[in-house]
Amino acid sequence: MELKVNGQNLSLPEHASDPAMPLLWALRDGLHLTGTKFGCGVAACGACTVHVDGQAVRACVTPLGSLQGNAITTIEALGSAEHPHALQLAWLAEQVPQCGYCQSGMLMAAAALLAKNPKPTEAEIEAAMTNLCRCGSYPRVRLAIQQAAALGAKR
Amino acid sequence: MKRRTLLLSGLGASAALLVGWAYLPPRSRLGNAGSLPAVEGEISLNGWIKIAANGDVLLAMNRSEMGQGVHTALAQIVAEELSLPLARVHLIPAGFESLYGNIAMFVGSLPLHPRQTEPGHVSLGARLGQWTVAKLARELGINATGGSSSVSDAWEPLRWAAATARQQLLGAASLRWKLPLPELLLEDGLISHVSGPSANFGALAKEAAATPPGEVKLKPAAKWQQIGKALARPDLAAKVNGSAVFGIDVRPDKDLLFAAVRHCPMLGGGLGVVPVNALLQQPGVLRVVQLGTVAGSHAAVAVVARNSWHAQRAAASLEMAWQQRPAGALNTGLIEGRLAEQAREAAQQGYAFFSQGEVDTALAKAPRQLEALYQAPYLAHATMEPMNCTARVKDGRVEVWVGSQVPGLARAVAARVAGVAEEAVTLHLTYLGGGFGRRLEADHVGQAVRVAMDTGGVPVQLLWSREEDMTHDFYRPAGAAFLQAGLDAEGKPLALRVGSAGDAITPRWMERVIPALAGPVEPPDKTASEGLFDQPYAIPHQRIAHLATHSGVPVGFWRSVGHSHNAFFIESFVDELAHAAGADPLAYRLALLEGLPRHAAVLKRAAQEAGWGQVLPKGQARGLALHESFGSIVAQVIELSSQDGRPRVQRVVCAIDCGVVVNPGIVAQQMESAVIFGLTATLYGRIDIKDGVVQQRNFPDYPLLTLAQTPRIETHLMASDLPPTGVGEPGTPPVAPALANAWFALTGERRRRLPFAVAG
Repeated sequence: MELKVNGQNLSLPEHASDPAMPLLWALRDGLHLTGTKFGCGVAACGACTVHVDGQAVRACVTPLGSLQGNAITTIEALGSAEHPHALQLAWLAEQVPQCGYCQSGMLMAAAALLAKNPKPTEAEIEAAMTNLCRCGSYPRVRLAIQQAAALGAKR
Repeated sequence: MKRRTLLLSGLGASAALLVGWAYLPPRSRLGNAGSLPAVEGEISLNGWIKIAANGDVLLAMNRSEMGQGVHTALAQIVAEELSLPLARVHLIPAGFESLYGNIAMFVGSLPLHPRQTEPGHVSLGARLGQWTVAKLARELGINATGGSSSVSDAWEPLRWAAATARQQLLGAASLRWKLPLPELLLEDGLISHVSGPSANFGALAKEAAATPPGEVKLKPAAKWQQIGKALARPDLAAKVNGSAVFGIDVRPDKDLLFAAVRHCPMLGGGLGVVPVNALLQQPGVLRVVQLGTVAGSHAAVAVVARNSWHAQRAAASLEMAWQQRPAGALNTGLIEGRLAEQAREAAQQGYAFFSQGEVDTALAKAPRQLEALYQAPYLAHATMEPMNCTARVKDGRVEVWVGSQVPGLARAVAARVAGVAEEAVTLHLTYLGGGFGRRLEADHVGQAVRVAMDTGGVPVQLLWSREEDMTHDFYRPAGAAFLQAGLDAEGKPLALRVGSAGDAITPRWMERVIPALAGPVEPPDKTASEGLFDQPYAIPHQRIAHLATHSGVPVGFWRSVGHSHNAFFIESFVDELAHAAGADPLAYRLALLEGLPRHAAVLKRAAQEAGWGQVLPKGQARGLALHESFGSIVAQVIELSSQDGRPRVQRVVCAIDCGVVVNPGIVAQQMESAVIFGLTATLYGRIDIKDGVVQQRNFPDYPLLTLAQTPRIETHLMASDLPPTGVGEPGTPPVAPALANAWFALTGERRRRLPFAVAG
């Protein structure tokens, strides 16, 4: 089985090719792409958020069988060292992460929001950002999204 | 005397032989270069600091980064003393020598009243206790990240280590250039002289190692350029691109195996006949391992597969006749009901952590009496990264990868399980996906090593599902307090009698992770009464007692520990007293804080910044709370409204006095963090156990505050030149009472039981 991840077609090992297997485990345990995290297994926390054709999805409940050549983007390809995503810069400017565990999912959810809605209102941010964070990074997540949105508008 | 008894007991005053004893000369924690093996091109100057060939500094990091910013704060302290940019201080893992142990945390576990230990007021008895415990802690050398103690523990030894290294480097330059040392300049990691010569640390390190430091002085506060600045956290770059490695992310081998665990659902229960063959027939399952109880772990079955999904699916499908806890099924309904009675009994029968005056007489004589019973539930830690540990057992050696708050104790557990010496265990410490006290345990470490003993040298990553994590935690114990006050004719408190009840955490934890020190004697556990026995208000007659219970529920340290519920009890009750006296809650408290200017200043600051006394829009109200914990004083004012009969928090104003602020950005971040943690607990947090089974299994049952529910949080830092105190935890305790007090102001309803999501 092949997956189109971060612009590359990658072969999944046989043990991670079951169509019922959630994408999360194929990424983490099959491809050793560990930036996407496991938090709850029931799509409640958003730590596993990735993009499938640009949409934010929770990989822990997305079976491999539902992906037929769709383009998957993970945190590893949100930006690059040379060209970081505006959100990654804003995240550093606002010093958002604490333990950092939920932040891949937070960033992927925020990136999908801005791609669809480059100038979200506060209410739209609140509605889109349902990811859970135990460290309480929320106030800074809010600020960083607003900052990235403002930067994006200037460009 | 048992060491534990010494470690954790209050010690009476004795003997003038203490005069002049500092509780540990900082130099005794300098270590020597041999503690820090240098690789090619590096020079060790002491037990903390190595110099790289390019002049960068390598700092032995003895604390775990779990979000609280300790890797930044400790490096910043060293960068300051060496006049080096923070980016040029790199972290290397500290070893397991006792040098790297946490002394402040153990000294902080003494049941001393803060008024006995503040600078200028240290009593002889307090000093004897601190000195003895510090000595013991130094001998034990337990490297633990907890008790909001990292910066206060490191403050003297790290500055002395860096300053000593600095003087050796300056001395080496002085000898090499034959120029007087006082004329040398040190800036940005470069030592120079106006006459021309200059050299970086790397060029001087070898000579520095052979140069005595001479007289070492710490950089005076007036010259600080980094301490007090909100420097950016170096760990965050890796946390925005997915490259930060948590325990769950280690991939030490392409053939890495994955294990899931299924614990006996009944806490304290056992396995039945494990259907091994049925499990082995499940897709992907390679092996089944039965796990006994190690380091407090519950009886469990581990399922090994090539990926976590196959392992978790098979583990979840397991059906068998589990054994109930031999001593009887646990039920929190019963336990909490009993706690309410025990709290009433505790005022007379409990251990008095603090007593002054004639409380019984004063209560009886007081013109007016008030009493109230408060209760708080069990709580789970719910770190975002579920418990996990990766282990390899091969050729008599053990390798462990784990995010731990107690790497040394985790290593000891690994060695015990594998039956090898501790020196045969290599422990790789990763980032922690949240700690909050849960990772002061090593249950999952023992399990991973046990499984790895059965996989023929192939490493195994053992990962708990969220359900296993939530249902097999070491819970914040439920607590109850019965508070009685006698007021004079003006409403001022004359007497305060408090009885509280709840399980002791420290002895349970020691049995699990330091069994060698656990003994039959169970001295009073400060964490049970902290925040009550040391309440700050001037009340002439007091008796604050606690009855330690033995519920059988596994209990552990949870962010702010006893303060997490005791602040709710005492600060809500003091609010009740203020209202009973017909006084403004702020003015009432201030009148009782006359001898405590720092407390009063923090409270006033929060009130002032929040606009206390100014009229709020209709449907909104304010409440406040003040609480000291982990050496720091925090006041909060909460503004809320009511939405569908529930509190909706709009704004939290927080003021903190934590001594010298090393990094104000991190302090503000931790206040936001602690406030949100406290709001989650106050509004939703509860763990219920029925017939031994924890009812809350995942986030839908154990909700966390969301971004949409998060109020505006403002932090104000008090200027101080006192040594730094705790930051990670002290922001949590005042949240519950400030919220409950605001709710009372809004609705007239006094909530004496948490969480708000539950009636009554």
